Amino acid sequence: MNAHSITPEVQSFLKERLSFYTKMDQDKIAQDADLISLGLQSIDAVLISGEIEDHFKIELDPSTVFEHDTFESFAAEITRRLNAK
Amino acid sequence: MSVWILGLATSGHDPALAIANPAGEIVFAEATERFLQDKRAWGIAPDHIGHLAEALAETDFVPGRDTIAVATSWASAKAELKRGVHDAMLPAPDTIWMQGMQLQLQESAGASLLRLGLASERPSPMRFDHHLTHAVTACYFAPTDTAACLVIDGEGDVGASSSFTMKDRELTREWRSWGPGSLGTFYGWLTQMCGFDWRLGEEWKVMGLAAYGSPNPELVENLKQMLIVDRGRLRFAADDVLLEIRKKAQEFGRRPDEPVEKAAVLAASGQAAYAALADLVLGEVASQGHSDLVLSGGCALNSSYNGTIAGRLPFERVFVPPCPADDGNAIGAALLGWMKVYETPRIPVGNLSPFLGSRAKPKGLDRLRKSAGRGLVVCELDDGDSAQVAAEFLAQGKILGVMRGRAEFGPRALGNRSILADPRSADMKDRINALVKGRESYRPFAPVVPHAKVAEWFGHAQPVPYMSMTLPWREEAASTVPAVVHEDCTGRVQTVTSENAPWLNAVVEAFEGMTGVPIVLNTSFNIMGKPIVHSVEDAIAVLMTSGLDGVLIENTLVTKPD
Repeated sequence: MNAHSITPEVQSFLKERLSFYTKMDQDKIAQDADLISLGLQSIDAVLISGEIEDHFKIELDPSTVFEHDTFESFAAEITRRLNAK
Repeated sequence: MSVWILGLATSGHDPALAIANPAGEIVFAEATERFLQDKRAWGIAPDHIGHLAEALAETDFVPGRDTIAVATSWASAKAELKRGVHDAMLPAPDTIWMQGMQLQLQESAGASLLRLGLASERPSPMRFDHHLTHAVTACYFAPTDTAACLVIDGEGDVGASSSFTMKDRELTREWRSWGPGSLGTFYGWLTQMCGFDWRLGEEWKVMGLAAYGSPNPELVENLKQMLIVDRGRLRFAADDVLLEIRKKAQEFGRRPDEPVEKAAVLAASGQAAYAALADLVLGEVASQGHSDLVLSGGCALNSSYNGTIAGRLPFERVFVPPCPADDGNAIGAALLGWMKVYETPRIPVGNLSPFLGSRAKPKGLDRLRKSAGRGLVVCELDDGDSAQVAAEFLAQGKILGVMRGRAEFGPRALGNRSILADPRSADMKDRINALVKGRESYRPFAPVVPHAKVAEWFGHAQPVPYMSMTLPWREEAASTVPAVVHEDCTGRVQTVTSENAPWLNAVVEAFEGMTGVPIVLNTSFNIMGKPIVHSVEDAIAVLMTSGLDGVLIENTLVTKPD
């Protein structure tokens, strides 16, 4: 997985929501940033998963966010599921 | 060779099993607690070997000819996710304890088939989304092809509520909530605050007690703030907000050793807050535009709320299955397994009967007959006479335990494992509470009414075949049957017809013929803290250790000597 497999919509939505929960500027969230190192609490990771489901009309597993621990990996997985719709 | 499906409720509490035959019919379903006579059967495998062997023997399953696939009621094992436990409402140890049991049951599901010689290697269960299993169970019991279907629960695979649409018997998920935010957890917390124990399933006591208090408007508003409802999705408020509200609620709370009346205002306020929050969730679901609502999940046991939905909110008909809580998911898992194996997206239509459990064992009945002359009077009735004799028994003011046909699946006794009595005397409620059930005097009993007459006796009249709704008595009627009129002039009614409960319907008709009143008191055949009776021996034990006057097991009437 790399940045090329992430759609701009997923990129901007996920950065905006991560910024909201971690209070970190969006442009400081690096592609290879570790979600936990960003300060994302596990409860917030779960809430973000729900927001992604609603926004992109895709289905995530409860473990998806925990299995993809970097921004890039998680965003690519969302993109993959979006493309598979 | 035909494939049968064993559906297992693997939550860790209220385990149950259900068996679907190759035609997609649920041919058996029963909670483990009945077999073990252990309330809620915490942590017990739903495919308990002895129970599963008995269950299979009740079906046409033929070992060697048929095979069994296994399905469970959760997609995930929560403990494996290793996510933080939300502890702002219920103590973390309870949640960690439950997650451990759920993990264990998800992993061991179906292993009993090895011991029974029905599998040569460890089965790989099909795992289904928890709320999907709730929804499929509910739709199996819903006599409609198209409806909104809402699950409001304690928890789910990702959150505690899910909204579906059923169209031509096919379910599609509309949305689900993620993360902590649960009306079931809210009610569990409320139960603890009222001095009861949700782990013992005492949410009933809160609902019953609510009738004795008036909601405190300020407290209701505070309690409502504990949950945020965003387009139907539920989320708990921030921990500091919850803590503040909990402190305010504390002054209305009660310790277990204090009089129950002390918590009446809190119970009433909590029930009012629950209703207001549930209204917001249902309001979102109503925007789908369906006139039929199928409601399930543990919160669908809130009969007081359920009875207020049809006509008040934009739904004409509301269907609640006989088993909306987690035991009922065994059916949903079995049906989803069947749909997968037989490659159909359509949920089968059930015959709507809740009588899916065990029968009284002939051996137990034989032993019972031999006990005649040893202190009990045993009388064999003709099949056609038993309803008439039972009605006469009741009309004489006697209390009768009934064990006939197959046991009900779900928490309600609907005539096959019931205690019946005459509702016309005011002291009957106290007699049964004190002398038979051994439970608190404030708890109400349910009325059975013929479906054709429900509008004569109740407001908001609607079919309630599974005793899932509380309706308001008509004022002029309530004084006739005081033993089944709750403090707030409501009753959790069961409507019967000659189709849905033939024998009980015949009892009510015969009782009306004798007394002019077409209503009978119906409560579950158990004593407080114990599950509903399972065996002939269980039934006789209740007779011998309580104020019951007799029991009718199939057509064998057993009474105490005068």
